[in-house]
Amino acid sequence: MGDLDHITSEATVSPVARLSGIRNCFGHECVHEGLELELPAGRIIALVGGSGTGKTVLLRTLSMLRRPDAGRLELFGEDALAAGEDAQRRLRRRIGLLFQGGALFTALTVLENVMLPLREHTAVRGHWLEELAMSKVRLAGLPADSASKYPAELSGGMVKRAALARALALDPRLLILDEPTSGLDPIAAAGFDALVRELTDSLGLTVIQATHDLDSIWRGSDAVAFLARKRVLAFAPAVELAQRDEPELVAYFRGSRSAEYAKLELGRSAHTSGRT
Amino acid sequence: MSPPRIALESGVEGERCLRLSGHWTLDSIDTAHRPSLGGDAGVGGKGDGTIRVDGAIEALDSAGALALARLIDDLEQGGARVDLTALPAGQRNLVELVKARLPPPQTPRPPREGILARIGRATVAKFTEGNAFLAFVGELVVRGGRLLAFPWRIRWREVVAEIEAAGLRALGIVGLLSFLVGMVMAYQAGATLADFGANILIVNLVAIITLREMGPLLTAIIVAGRTGSSYTAQLGTMRITEEIDALRSIGISPFDMLILPKIVALIVVLPLLTVFANLLGLLGGAVIAAYRFEVSFSVYFDRLPEVVDLTTLMLGLVKTPVFAVAIALIGCMQGMRVAGSALAVGRATTVSVVQATFLVIVLDAGFSVLFNLMGY
Repeated sequence: MGDLDHITSEATVSPVARLSGIRNCFGHECVHEGLELELPAGRIIALVGGSGTGKTVLLRTLSMLRRPDAGRLELFGEDALAAGEDAQRRLRRRIGLLFQGGALFTALTVLENVMLPLREHTAVRGHWLEELAMSKVRLAGLPADSASKYPAELSGGMVKRAALARALALDPRLLILDEPTSGLDPIAAAGFDALVRELTDSLGLTVIQATHDLDSIWRGSDAVAFLARKRVLAFAPAVELAQRDEPELVAYFRGSRSAEYAKLELGRSAHTSGRT
Repeated sequence: MSPPRIALESGVEGERCLRLSGHWTLDSIDTAHRPSLGGDAGVGGKGDGTIRVDGAIEALDSAGALALARLIDDLEQGGARVDLTALPAGQRNLVELVKARLPPPQTPRPPREGILARIGRATVAKFTEGNAFLAFVGELVVRGGRLLAFPWRIRWREVVAEIEAAGLRALGIVGLLSFLVGMVMAYQAGATLADFGANILIVNLVAIITLREMGPLLTAIIVAGRTGSSYTAQLGTMRITEEIDALRSIGISPFDMLILPKIVALIVVLPLLTVFANLLGLLGGAVIAAYRFEVSFSVYFDRLPEVVDLTTLMLGLVKTPVFAVAIALIGCMQGMRVAGSALAVGRATTVSVVQATFLVIVLDAGFSVLFNLMGY
């Protein structure tokens, strides 16, 4: 089982996912053309770009929900677009996806939502199944009594956490988050970022998150993939992107609020230059 | 892939050692039980002192970490102190993360209600439902009455759109079904009447049943299933996506914007659809009468005015606006009562169709009694 040895052997060298020459079109409008991106293992990557640059479309391509009009998608070293149904199922098991609105099944309780993928993909049953699901609910930072609640009874932040618990159910290697902190207050958002970081480090995850949250971009991510001109215009830590002079990057990273972060972070990295 | 193994060994000076090996992963752990000391180690876990966790776990995921965390928790409950320092850092972090958020051993369940409580709840729910219907009718009368006084305030654009959706686009299905039912009635009537050589009476039977009952009733039931359900689904989804609240916040009454146009449109549409259904029903009867029972088209349509008059047609048509109000009202009310989830939309749509069909038939029966008393 290659996907389970990630805890024992240290981060594998090969990238978790590799997109090359991706083209995504809607009718005559193309949002991506010749897009290239590699996700290094064990990192949290922020996917950033203005509205309509196709962040969600890219995440849907990555999670095999949308077949690109052209290009190649490699997941865990396998060609995902050429994979048969069984192979695709195996690949999907290694990907956890958190939808923008949570997309919890409204007819099921939180615990049942988390149990569903476990029941589908493993032979685990009975009390152990419940215990596993419950552990995921707690890992996502929800109190134990919320497990028996229905999604309609949860607050926005709790919905996101419950959706995270479901995305984590099968110990994915790649976690895809679509706007995980949108709609959360700054404190809850910071808590969510910290949670993702903690889980990434302990579970050996690779995370890609589409986000607009400056905190998530500057503090919660190791690198930023910046979408513009229908491709990934730049892929580097936020500190470096803030110093480049493509007009799109300047507009995004030297806007008034972003500039404050840049000043702060640049100052900090000057102090602790040994930090990576 | 080897299953997880545990062995508890006694070392020097009372220090014990928990030797772990194998794959501690979701797929290698027994599917119904997590590994425990009682079953897997053969040694009781009781006793205090330090227990050192040792050995080489070949693979560990969060399921394995949960099993291990539970094990350590059990040992600690027994009074022992568990030392994890011998585990590789990555594994130790994972076990500690899971252990810090260990769920209670038994999943808490909300207490189940007794039979009395459930009967009570269902009873109250029925009363609330009846109450809501009355409140809805009340609101319709108040708001509708006000709009009747100022008819230019009615949103005619919406009304026209609803007329198109509920009327024009229903012509096909209403026409086809009426035609088929007309044929079926002619067959059944003809088969009996032909034995007596009274083929010509097919016209009486088909015409009276179609105009007085079958046309209005069939049309109303089709519209209840087709349009009433769509009203519920539309309003219910708009409730869930907060579009109704958004309308209110802009200062537009959802009643004026969404519900009243639907009711007005259906009051206009249902009589027209019924006339259309009557025509097609009579035509269906004529086709069978001509080709199967030797009553030619000219004879059929010559005889038609002799057996039915305008009163027969009107007795059928006068019921339809009442049906229309019932269907639209139930469809809209069920839609506006949706709360919570996608599931609720589905449930409300079912309830809407069942209630509307039920009410249409009950009203029709009531009309029959009424007309009978009036001597028609």
